[in-house]
Amino acid sequence: MSERPDPSGEQLNSSRFDRGPLREEVRREIRRLHQLSNRGLWGLAIFILLSLGAQRNFNFLPSFSEGARAVLGAAPPVKLISIALVVYSFSALVLILSRMMEGTETYRGWSHLGYLSGFYFFYYYAEALPDNFWAVFAAGITILSLEYYAIWNYCSEAIRTEKELLGKLDE
Amino acid sequence: MRSIAAKAVVPVAVAVTGFVVVASILLYSFIKGDMLNSAIQREVNLAGIIVKSTRYAMLHDDRESLRNIISNIGEQSGVEHARIFNHSGMVVYSADLGEVNQLVDKKNAGCISCHEKEEPATNLGPMEQARRFTNEKGHHVVAITAPIYNEPGCSTAECHFHSANLKVLGTLDIGLSAEPLRATLATLGWRMAVFCIMVLILTVGGVCALLRRNILLPIINLVAYANAATRGNTDEPPPGGIDEIEMLGKSLQSMALRLEQKDRELESLRGRGGEPASTRPSPPDTFAG
Repeated sequence: MSERPDPSGEQLNSSRFDRGPLREEVRREIRRLHQLSNRGLWGLAIFILLSLGAQRNFNFLPSFSEGARAVLGAAPPVKLISIALVVYSFSALVLILSRMMEGTETYRGWSHLGYLSGFYFFYYYAEALPDNFWAVFAAGITILSLEYYAIWNYCSEAIRTEKELLGKLDE
Repeated sequence: MRSIAAKAVVPVAVAVTGFVVVASILLYSFIKGDMLNSAIQREVNLAGIIVKSTRYAMLHDDRESLRNIISNIGEQSGVEHARIFNHSGMVVYSADLGEVNQLVDKKNAGCISCHEKEEPATNLGPMEQARRFTNEKGHHVVAITAPIYNEPGCSTAECHFHSANLKVLGTLDIGLSAEPLRATLATLGWRMAVFCIMVLILTVGGVCALLRRNILLPIINLVAYANAATRGNTDEPPPGGIDEIEMLGKSLQSMALRLEQKDRELESLRGRGGEPASTRPSPPDTFAG
């Protein structure tokens, strides 16, 4: 939330005319919180779109040429990718829960979207995506849902507080 | 979603459910890979045993014995096909007599791994020898192609005409049904799913039960006590349960008692001054229950 003067006390006692800019600021803050809350939904929607492509094994993309494979080198072993996915899921969930406990307004869904796309890419490159698609999908849905819940919960509480403030200013 | 139960249970339920599902899928994938590798290794060993057991008949050019051996192997339950190709790719012996003397396309699965390049590969690892497919009967098959190498005994035998520089004389191709493996994996999948559901019920149920017993019920009792105290009823003892709730209850009780005492003092002062004693003002809205 942005810093602004305390509307209680002196400012509430001022005339209704003086409260206009403050009311506008509160409304702007409510709009910002709504937008922040919607980010979680956008993150989930983009991940589901990406997963639709992954479920088809990205068959709409051109396959890697011999030259490209020679440049990129050998794919990492599938077991290592899976172990990395478990470690990543565990640490991501722990971090999200601890951020929920602190009550911060940061949304880290975009970086998770990047990590999850990386896992899809590595499985695809190792030609093991069909066997491991559901693991990445379940991890992504869980992490992004929890991110969404955390930001939605924070924003709902903040919006409620702002609306109460707006009500007091309108009195 | 403002209740304490929803706020506490939803994140825990989502995190635990998601992680258990991810871990189970990956564990299933690991076990599936290990079981498949183990089945392929067994099949490679079986192919080696068959090649060794036909060696004597091959050295003596005993075609009738070879035909019988391949035919008998093909009759075993779980064996989908058994055949031997010569180095030109022609089926020489097969459990299915209709295949004999037919040429196999070198671009087919099982052949391409060696014949991918102009110079065919002569040594492959066990996993490269294996292929999985669904045959014309609709059965899932794990097949192995084992090369039959030229040995000094083969090129120098009187009856034979293989030149010494020919490295691979032919290939044994044996396919075993993958249905038992698939059935085992399906059972494993169900058991893991049941295990996951049990873990989830225990975790989410446990968190819900503990929250209700230790947090929700004491808070509900405290709200009821606060409402009663607001109406002037301070006879009931404050609710117990957990330390924090108990302290809050005692504070509410002492506040209500002090308020009651002040009311009494005010009434007696008013009585002494000759003013009519006013009744205590009605309490405001009670606490939300």
